[in-house]
Amino acid sequence: MSAPDANNDVAISVRNITQRFGEAGSPDEVLALDDVSLDIKRGEFVCLLGPSGCGKSTILNIVGGLFKPTQGTATVAGRLVEGAPHPDQIAFVFQESTLLPWYTVIENFRIALKFRGMNKAEWDDRAMAALRAVGMASFARHYPDQLSVGMRQRVNMARGLCVETPILLMDEPFAALDEQTRMVLGEDLSQLLAARQKTIVFVTHSLAEAVFLSDRIFVMTARPGKIKTIIDVNESHPRSPDFMLEPRFSELRNECYALLRDEIRRTVAAQRDPQPAGT
Amino acid sequence: MSVAANTAHVRPLTHGQRVFRWRLAFLAAVVLLLELYGWYGADPTAWVPVSKIMHSLYKDVLSDSKIVTALGWCVMQITVAYVLSIIFGVLIGLAAGSTNFNRRTLFPIILILYVIPQVSFLPLLVLSFGLGSAAKIAFGFSHAVFPIIINVVSGMRSVRELHLNAARSMGASRFDTIRHVILPHMVPSLFNGLRLGMTLNLLGVILAELYVSTSGVGYYTKLFAEDFNPGPLFALIGSLAFIAIVFNELVRIAEHRLTPGKHKQTAIKTKKAEQP
Repeated sequence: MSAPDANNDVAISVRNITQRFGEAGSPDEVLALDDVSLDIKRGEFVCLLGPSGCGKSTILNIVGGLFKPTQGTATVAGRLVEGAPHPDQIAFVFQESTLLPWYTVIENFRIALKFRGMNKAEWDDRAMAALRAVGMASFARHYPDQLSVGMRQRVNMARGLCVETPILLMDEPFAALDEQTRMVLGEDLSQLLAARQKTIVFVTHSLAEAVFLSDRIFVMTARPGKIKTIIDVNESHPRSPDFMLEPRFSELRNECYALLRDEIRRTVAAQRDPQPAGT
Repeated sequence: MSVAANTAHVRPLTHGQRVFRWRLAFLAAVVLLLELYGWYGADPTAWVPVSKIMHSLYKDVLSDSKIVTALGWCVMQITVAYVLSIIFGVLIGLAAGSTNFNRRTLFPIILILYVIPQVSFLPLLVLSFGLGSAAKIAFGFSHAVFPIIINVVSGMRSVRELHLNAARSMGASRFDTIRHVILPHMVPSLFNGLRLGMTLNLLGVILAELYVSTSGVGYYTKLFAEDFNPGPLFALIGSLAFIAIVFNELVRIAEHRLTPGKHKQTAIKTKKAEQP
């Protein structure tokens, strides 16, 4: 099924994607993404970093097949994504925990595996293995409401891992957490991924998170979103918290911030009332 | 728990126990006042002491086989009307709520039908369904079906986009999504509809009973009222109230048992022994 020109090293390829929201020609029309192209290699951890509303999540949703872009194509493992998810290739972890509140943790894993058509006999083994990996095995019978936000997101992450797809798309998975929980979960994620050869696309607002986790950071512009620069982080996984103390870490972080500052200002300015001329 | 059991005799009342005792005390006070009012203040053609009503309950209502049969018929009518309302309410609700297009087309019509005061149709209903059970069932049904439809539709509508997207990204089929995401989500809303539906169903059936009845509970109610005989009248009304309470409790118990995420214990089957 793979396209003739499929490059085996490329897991995700996005070509000239433009995305408009709202009715064409109406004042509500928004150009979210403007001619974005990017390639993500197999086994790579990539962060999409940018000001809010720049279309980071939109890229993720298009790659994940949740909707079709206005123009352009996305290819996953050599197959075109045309607004249809590829659950055998891709698992999603969303910002908010998407655990269904009417099922226990283990039941949530079961239906995730069921939806993907996994063999029923494997459901609980896989689920428990993934829960053990994030230290949540003793909470398998709990309902999501009985867990703290941090625990819920840990379970959510484990559910993304348990299906063992080669690609994991993470849409600000730690955004709802406090900074301390967030750092710990970031370290956990780095540990978990070192053992698996996964391709990760991770959307975030956090500069430190981006530098700490990624192999490459795609810094985006304010809306309409484009890729502004790509920053390489040459540090092997799993990463230890010591990495955050190195001068290199601060340098990279500052570099990202310098790139983002103007974009953030533009975003904020666009959200304000128009300023009278001459001020 | 054992520690708690040892100290049970000195433990102060829990909040729930206090509430329960005060509730009982309040009810007892109301009954007592009504009793005293019956003895000393009331016109005996309009109200009699509670103790006399209880006596009438035995003597005039429960020992009269015709009245007991009438109450039985009433229970049957309520049940049939309710079952029909659930079946049609859920089916129509699912159909109307399944797509945006259906909802926008049908929902306003349903809302308009719901707000029509149905009492105005009661004579018409009796003309077409006759004096028997059918008219009462029809009237209970036409009252109960609307809140069920409306709550099913709004339950389907409030499903979170995030859950739908997550299910889709996991490769859930349309059927899977309905079975695991949409239906469990709408259960609380469905039960709101069922509770409201039961209240209106009771109203519909009993209203039709009172309006036209040649041998039912309504007939006896009218008979006792016209005889200025409040003892059996209130005994009968009390019996109807009891039936209504039982039906409402059944719905509440069903809600408690059937709402997902309340009762089941999850068994986990893994092949190997769990090891950290």
